[in-house]
Amino acid sequence: MSGARTERVEADVCVVGAGAGGAVAAAELAEGGSNVVLVEEGHWHDPDSFTASPTEMLARLYREAGQTMTVGAPPILLPLGRGLGGTTLVNSGTCFRTPPRVLERWEREFGLELDEQGLRAFFERVEQALSVSEVTPQLAGGNAAVARRGAEALGWSHGYLSRNARGCVGSGVCAFGCPTSAKQHTGITYVPRAERAGARIVTGAWVERVLLRSGAGGSKGRTARTGRGTASSTSPPRRAALERAIGVSARMASGARLEVRAPTVIVAAGTIHTPLLLARSGIGAGSGQLGRNLSLHPATAVFARMADTVDMAKGVPQSFYVDEFAREGVIFETVAGPPAYAAMSLPLTGARHAEAMADYRRLAQCGVMVSDSSRGSIYSVGGRALIRYDLADADVERFRIGLARVGELFEAAGAREVYLPLPEGVSPGKTRRRDLKLMAFHPLGSARADARPSKGVVDGDLRAHGTRGVYVADGSVVPSSLGVNPQMTIMALATRLAFALAGRDISATGHVRVAA
Amino acid sequence: MSRGSENGDTLERFIASAPQPQRMGMRVLAALRRRPRGRSMLEHAPALNQLAQMIASLGHYDDPGVAEALGWDGAAVVARGKALRRAEGRP
Repeated sequence: MSGARTERVEADVCVVGAGAGGAVAAAELAEGGSNVVLVEEGHWHDPDSFTASPTEMLARLYREAGQTMTVGAPPILLPLGRGLGGTTLVNSGTCFRTPPRVLERWEREFGLELDEQGLRAFFERVEQALSVSEVTPQLAGGNAAVARRGAEALGWSHGYLSRNARGCVGSGVCAFGCPTSAKQHTGITYVPRAERAGARIVTGAWVERVLLRSGAGGSKGRTARTGRGTASSTSPPRRAALERAIGVSARMASGARLEVRAPTVIVAAGTIHTPLLLARSGIGAGSGQLGRNLSLHPATAVFARMADTVDMAKGVPQSFYVDEFAREGVIFETVAGPPAYAAMSLPLTGARHAEAMADYRRLAQCGVMVSDSSRGSIYSVGGRALIRYDLADADVERFRIGLARVGELFEAAGAREVYLPLPEGVSPGKTRRRDLKLMAFHPLGSARADARPSKGVVDGDLRAHGTRGVYVADGSVVPSSLGVNPQMTIMALATRLAFALAGRDISATGHVRVAA
Repeated sequence: MSRGSENGDTLERFIASAPQPQRMGMRVLAALRRRPRGRSMLEHAPALNQLAQMIASLGHYDDPGVAEALGWDGAAVVARGKALRRAEGRP
């Protein structure tokens, strides 16, 4: 390939991606005795280089400076982390187990045998590894206290969130690199565990394709089409049932090439990029579902100006939730950040913006997250991801409910003014799709699990339908919107996969439950 | 180098790291906002005005002097984090 040097390594398992799914699978497999190579596109980010500056850290810790956008009505900002830890490096650390009603739906609609009882030990193992515990009211800070006051006045169901943090002092910048390394992201937990167990960690390596060998022998010289089409349509499968993984080929940042030879490949490049890698490799297209079924948990945020000092960035930014309307697909979670973050998201302009920011210490903020029924698709355009997602009417209605209710929450908490993220003169009840300013943090479902090869990209054991030796372990396999933050679901499924591949029995590990 | 120009460099790195359509859009909006006539044009396009406000806000309020006046001392947060990591042997 243009005379570039190619390094070849051999392993039992090659894991692509060091985020919530890949890092967990790599560590559990290495500790189970497998020879593992973990390949990550991003790099290790030294906490000594964290500055708490949103502008600077967005450019360094996020893919495309956190400016990845969907195309559709309305466009949605979709920030994605990049580096050892993936998005766990920059998320708020919120931990929820998969709600039982969601697991029941998965069994009913997708034939997945993933019940609460069967997953419990995997969740407990992850929670123990990441020191998951509930945020205390003191650490939650003034912003959570405002939401709590409102929820209590209204009699709404609420609580403090559980997080993967140890020794947190409430620095207030989870999304911009935790300066105390309190947040237990996978880059400082599972990746070091994998390394200690003998795994080789390769950073700065972009995996071009999973290498396959057909039953007839010899590597396949397949060329994927690069034109526009859903990830499914870019490379139709040929003789899929006879093919099996033999490794991956990658391009290093240095220009050198890397080939990892391994009979088992776990793809965990994230919900946006996993379907593109699978499509480039000619894997998973048989069902027609690859790159489709994308859910996002779209979200928006409301500000309020309170009478007393809030100091929103002093404390855990995401620390308190209101789930009174969870059955209607709406959940509230407090969000907060330093002045630059608040100023960027405050839905005002000109003099009103400046006046509200001058009173930053009295500003409170709460997010509205929707468990979406809308579904998007991921396309490959010139090798880059194009994310198409249009908000369905049902989800617009959920935002109407959510915005109105958060307004009530702040008023009940004693807000002097409430700033809704809507154009002037538009009330929550009259909100149209184009009025909404949305962000999303939880892309899921683009290589969904379904027991039936005609309906899903992987089966209930996360094995790619129609190809031997290829597994997927990231948010892309989650077949429906969860309604809660997904990192624990992804990690528990990755743990389950690793135990199954290594032939380990979770009940024999002797883990103990960590009290919340 | 003044804090203002350091901040301008940081904002420029942020814009340069964004994907091409947003990069171009942010540069156009930032340029419009710097000129009286541009600001007047933006006032007639509320959605674009909001975006221009976002970009300008990010640069302005990330200035340590501005943030400190609002009660946020990012340098102190970072220093406390470093000290804790050293003292407790955190990664």
